[in-house]
Amino acid sequence: MTEKSKRTGMVTEEEHAYIHWMAQALGAGNKRFLRALSELGEPREIYGMAVSGKLADRLTECFREKAAQLSENSRLFDVQGEYERLTGRGIHLVAQGEEAYPRRLAQIPDRPWVLYYAGALPPEDQPAVALIGARDCTEYGRYMARQFGAALARAGVQVISGMARGIDGIGQESALREGGYTIGVLGCGVDICYPGENRELYEALLARGGVCSEYPPGVEPRAFLFPPRNRIISGLADAVVVMEAREKSGTLITVDMALEQGREVYALPGRATDPLSGGCNRLIRQGAGLVSSPEELLEEMLGAKGAEARAVEGVKAAVQTELVFLDGVEGELFSVLDFQPLSTEEIGRRFQEKYGKPIELPLLFQTLLELCIKGHAGQIGGGYFMRTS
Amino acid sequence: MLSTMISGAVYGVQSHLIQVEVDVSQGLPCFQIVGLPGSEVREARERVKVALKNVGVKLPPMCINVNLSPADLPKNGTMFDLPVAVGIMTALGKLAKEESEGILLLGELGLSGELKPVKGVLPIAREAAARGIKRCLVPIENAWEGALVREIESFGAANVQEAVAFLRDKERKKVVPDVQEYVVVPPDTEENLDFSDINGQSVLKRAAEVAAAGFHNLLIIGAPGSGKTMLARRIPTILPPLSLEESMEVSTIYSICGLLQSAGSLKTTRPFLHPHHTITGRALAGGGRIPMPGVISLAHRGVLFLDELPEFKRETLDILRQPLEDRQVQIARSVGSQCYPADFMLVGAMNPCPCGFYPDREKCRCTPYEVKRYLNRVSGPILDRMDICVEALPMGFSDITAQGKEENSKTVRERVMAARQRQESRFAGTKLRFNADMGPKEVERFCRLGQGELRYMERMFSCMQLTARAYHRILKVARTIADLAGSDRIEEIHLAEAICYRQSDRKFWQ
Repeated sequence: MTEKSKRTGMVTEEEHAYIHWMAQALGAGNKRFLRALSELGEPREIYGMAVSGKLADRLTECFREKAAQLSENSRLFDVQGEYERLTGRGIHLVAQGEEAYPRRLAQIPDRPWVLYYAGALPPEDQPAVALIGARDCTEYGRYMARQFGAALARAGVQVISGMARGIDGIGQESALREGGYTIGVLGCGVDICYPGENRELYEALLARGGVCSEYPPGVEPRAFLFPPRNRIISGLADAVVVMEAREKSGTLITVDMALEQGREVYALPGRATDPLSGGCNRLIRQGAGLVSSPEELLEEMLGAKGAEARAVEGVKAAVQTELVFLDGVEGELFSVLDFQPLSTEEIGRRFQEKYGKPIELPLLFQTLLELCIKGHAGQIGGGYFMRTS
Repeated sequence: MLSTMISGAVYGVQSHLIQVEVDVSQGLPCFQIVGLPGSEVREARERVKVALKNVGVKLPPMCINVNLSPADLPKNGTMFDLPVAVGIMTALGKLAKEESEGILLLGELGLSGELKPVKGVLPIAREAAARGIKRCLVPIENAWEGALVREIESFGAANVQEAVAFLRDKERKKVVPDVQEYVVVPPDTEENLDFSDINGQSVLKRAAEVAAAGFHNLLIIGAPGSGKTMLARRIPTILPPLSLEESMEVSTIYSICGLLQSAGSLKTTRPFLHPHHTITGRALAGGGRIPMPGVISLAHRGVLFLDELPEFKRETLDILRQPLEDRQVQIARSVGSQCYPADFMLVGAMNPCPCGFYPDREKCRCTPYEVKRYLNRVSGPILDRMDICVEALPMGFSDITAQGKEENSKTVRERVMAARQRQESRFAGTKLRFNADMGPKEVERFCRLGQGELRYMERMFSCMQLTARAYHRILKVARTIADLAGSDRIEEIHLAEAICYRQSDRKFWQ
């Protein structure tokens, strides 16, 4: 934006209305046109030119047609009314150069000139971590995303993610459950819940976290809109943690962006044979930080920043209380469980192999459920169980 | 002169006795049948006329009127040929009236005068017995069906001459088939299925046992080749054999559909029906202009197995909702409404996702959306009626080659029958027969939990995020598991097992 707004740091509501007009008129994309326009002045001044039809004269030949469209749009658009309607729906915007514009985002080279948001903007005084990963994640990824989301929230770290299926949504969900702040960066207008199955999370984010997007409300989710939004995810964060990714994964776009923006990149290691950990393992080989637990991540991050060790202690304590000594059948059965979900059948077979004695089915069911209740195991579907501690 | 014969007709599953009134009098020569005859009944004229000529009974040029009473009931089938022929002979004075008195007559005539088998002899004979009739004369192939009804003496004839000879001299051509031969379980000639054929899969087999013991509906989810179909086919072998009463019910339905003839005996094994997924709703539920029982009625007291559940058309599956609730199906057509019994055990099998390998992420690349859409093809209300849900694992090499000693059907069936007995004594005096029949009220009455168990369920409820519906299903299944264990009280261990058989909550699939 121009020098004036940068200096004052204050933008009036009236000016916001003109910014909204320009953003919705431009829609998604149109970077070159946007640059040409911003050289002409403030959105309010551009609006004046558009209405009077003088806009086309001020621009080079190649933008003539677009300028004509903009003029047409300006005549039909009720600038103040539309803006009031927007804020009435609980959607706000913040433009580049404003005081409220997220500080971390302001540092990145290709920052969005306007950011729409609903709910709250990220608090500046909290460290921020982007939890990202595959949409079709495994149980392992699911479990770790849950652990990381919750632990970060407990330590007072905000979680940035994309509200997508899989890792993104799960991490944010557990952060919210622990009372932490988390924001979902969308690849569509903030008034659209995509994917639809995350409706519950979306509503929770509106109430207790936030959602934001560089696209004006009403923009439908399209495949090409998602890669650019990844730069905002990494831009809003101090560090990026990849929970699970295939060797060729969209998640790695975010990692590239993060590196460009100078953010720390961490990855959760997985098994060499697991295709969904292939991307993570490669990142580690290339020099990304290896984190195998939330407290490792916190120590790396907060330790480097010299921030509260108290939060770290809190997480450690929480982890340690879970280590309980199990005896009898429970202990034997627990030792057979894996972090990958195993079917009841398979568990019974492994038990027999390990201890050389068969286990009656009813007892097997009962013991497994007991482990679930105590928090040492999780039931997936009806017939699969996995270790969770 | 007027004569009256006794015959019968089947309408839906209801049998009715029909009076065949024949009048032969002076007037313009004619031969007509009234009383709502269907086309095969109307054609009896031609068959009877020619058959009688060929056995040496010449019809005089007189006015012959046949009335089938009650006249407002639609009549179908070929069983009226014999009573019409005998009626004409009696009206002509070739047979004395008292000779055919009190005898149920059924049979189709060939042009040479031979008697051919007909459908529905068993249900008509039962109805006749209830109305106090003591004897029946039917085609020789059907004689055993009549003989199954204890109160009736059944006689078979191969042709009109034999029938007439029998009527004149009741002792001469008496055919009383050895009923025992037909009631005894026929050897399973086609395929000798047994539970011991299945190697491994202990969880699957245990779930089938529980389902069989409480007549619970069963849903098997598993990868291709994991033995879902193999198991389902063997479920009838662990169900208790049909009781005589049940056997009669089932045989009645088969008799109406003309399927008892080919079976050659009373149905004593539980039916196992496995329609292809292209089946239409009408074929499944029954119907047609003249309503006929559908596949679900043929599966009465047995197993209806739907393989590849999501491949069935949604509308077709939704037809099952009402029969699953009411244990019968009501079919309304312009000619009237029919109610067919349909008390079956539904066994469904399906893959967990389009490729079949979910949640094995090494093989399955289906997106969560694809998986969800695949599962959503089965409507919720149908899934809600599945008490037991179990996952079948792909078979490993060791499973296929294992020569271990597996339990055979006989052993499992004994346990199932013991559990059935407990249910019978518990439900004595109520309409219920099995644990699966229990509604919420009955669950409250018969599945009362102790203090400790209540606390256990309370913990489970919050920990496993159970719903109220799931809770009732779990109690029902736990009741059956306790019955199998021979326990009057439902204990923790029974509840735990039932919880493991509950339906995978939908979140898992997302």
